[in-house]
Amino acid sequence: MSEPRSPQPAPIRLVLVDDHRMFRSGVKAELDESMLIVGEAADVDSAIAVVAQTRPDVVLLDVHLPGGNGNGGSDVISGSGGVTTESGVPVRFLALSVSDSAEDVIAVIRAGARGYVTKTINGPDLTSAIRRVADGDAVFSPRLAGFVLDAFGAAAGEVAVIDEELDRLSTREREVMRLIARGYQYKEVAKELFISIKTVETHVSSVLRKLQLSSRHELTAWAVGRHLL
Amino acid sequence: MPTPYEVPPPPMTSGERRRVRRLERPVQGRYLAGVCAGLAQHLGLKVRHVRLAFGLACLAGGAGIAAYLFLWALTPQSLGATLVARTDAVAVGRPTNEPVRNLVVGLGFLFVGGVLVAQQRGVNLRLGLLIPILTVVGGAVLAWSQLDDAERGRWLVGDTGRAGRRAGLVRLGIGIALATVGVVVLVTQGRGFSGLWEVGIPAVAVLAGVALVAAPWGVRLWADLRAEQAQRIRETERADIAAHLHDSVLQTLALIQRQAGDSAAVVRLARAQERELRGWLYAGPLGSQASLGSAVTEVAHEVEDLHGMPIELVVTGDRPLDVGGAALVRALREALLNAVRHGAAPVSAYVEVGSESVEAFVRDHGPGFDLDAVPLDRFGVRESIVGRMSRHGGVATLRRLEQGTEVSITLPVTAPGGHPQIQPDEQNDTEALTDSHARTDAEVQADTEGPR
Repeated sequence: MSEPRSPQPAPIRLVLVDDHRMFRSGVKAELDESMLIVGEAADVDSAIAVVAQTRPDVVLLDVHLPGGNGNGGSDVISGSGGVTTESGVPVRFLALSVSDSAEDVIAVIRAGARGYVTKTINGPDLTSAIRRVADGDAVFSPRLAGFVLDAFGAAAGEVAVIDEELDRLSTREREVMRLIARGYQYKEVAKELFISIKTVETHVSSVLRKLQLSSRHELTAWAVGRHLL
Repeated sequence: MPTPYEVPPPPMTSGERRRVRRLERPVQGRYLAGVCAGLAQHLGLKVRHVRLAFGLACLAGGAGIAAYLFLWALTPQSLGATLVARTDAVAVGRPTNEPVRNLVVGLGFLFVGGVLVAQQRGVNLRLGLLIPILTVVGGAVLAWSQLDDAERGRWLVGDTGRAGRRAGLVRLGIGIALATVGVVVLVTQGRGFSGLWEVGIPAVAVLAGVALVAAPWGVRLWADLRAEQAQRIRETERADIAAHLHDSVLQTLALIQRQAGDSAAVVRLARAQERELRGWLYAGPLGSQASLGSAVTEVAHEVEDLHGMPIELVVTGDRPLDVGGAALVRALREALLNAVRHGAAPVSAYVEVGSESVEAFVRDHGPGFDLDAVPLDRFGVRESIVGRMSRHGGVATLRRLEQGTEVSITLPVTAPGGHPQIQPDEQNDTEALTDSHARTDAEVQADTEGPR
């Protein structure tokens, strides 16, 4: 997922929220010097406090956390609403989880996370995902793309007539999601569809927006009757 | 007296554990409350003989009844069964209910008949005393039957739903009413309604007072009972989880420690264990084995295990597994095997089950290869993937990407030759086919499969 970017003058300020200390130290060891870890937290309440105090660019957020109202990562996001960085950009959240259950992932995305990656992700991929989220783009793993295709009925052939329709994906968004589910990276998606990487990012962000705002039944009552994996 | 070991097991206990030697009332194979069955089990006698003895004792002035009630009140219900009873109560309760009812009604008629005959013969039974006493006993039995362990469990948990609970309450209410009426009639003997008021009001007052005093105690007992029950359920669950973790995770960790030097083996073990645990934690109910999605998942896991390379599998949608689907699963398996053998990580697989077609993609990040450059005698791609799919009305293509190779498989869901969505008669055939792929080699199957 990494493509050459203009050299970063300032490192990305990062907060790690995970209740496993071993995992936090593992992530720290994997990230390069373009990331600056300014804070760590192990539960919902301390995470909200650390985020408010350090005002980072990106929060790497475990989906399952103790404390708060019992909703884990979603509680951190809703508790940190309105917190911005020094430059006035809202703090962005990247969800990180071992859980493959759709309801957890969808819940944290709908709470406001800009993306979701699994904990098995390797160092370089994680770095580029964090950078992408810091730039305000969305990060979709193949699995999340699969969830999206299923939830919006896109796999069954439902396609939006107008792009703005919240409850369905447009044809192009569906194509992008399908390629991501097939394991393509953004630049490969761009090449495949003869569009620019920027356009791919726009499509993905638009899907993220739909994912957060749509009131499709599948998204609100996910996994009640479904077992996807 | 014969020892328990010399006696053939009583018929109703054949399914039960024989090592239980304490006097207990079994849940299974009982007619009334299981006293005879329990006693027979305990003494190593035939249950028929015990029942006969009780029946004879009943004729001897009702001693049998008294003994039965006494034993019923003092004997605990079979311990192993009480936990199961909650689920079993529904199944067991039903068959036992019927004979109980018949028996009670029959005994009732017999008794009334006997009383009438005795009355006509001129024996003074002092009906004025007998009827109230019988009413009290009847009410008490009805109310007490609620305290039978299995009944109570069923009642508390409310497994049988609102209806069962209401039925229990009604029975309890009727029992209490009967007993009250009996007591009142007994006490007010021969004094009519005025006597009823005279005695009734103080009696009610005393009862109310007792209830008032006993209420907190009763409530606490009730709460304790519920807490204890919840605790027991939690402990059972905990034990289940502990047992599962012990059998799976701890064993794997031990294996990993032993093979710490072999990193490939460690990765494979960890991955397999992760998948197993994940399946256990998040998987839905079992028995969906005949769906395309689960077949695909199974195949991907199998390939992962064989080569220790993780496969990122995404499946959307699902449908029943038919012959075409089974062919697609096998082609997919071959493609995955190629990807992990010749390609490089990460290997991704995406299967989209749509309303008109099923599409599957397998992608690796290896150097890639050219189909035309593969020698003709190599069976893999050409026969197992491309050939197989075209025989089932589908298309498989191989594409070289800038980095890696991608196999795309498309299978129309309603193929022109016509595989209707579900064919019950082909279902078994299909399952047999998917079973066989685990054992036999894919290449062999390419020859032996399908009628086409």
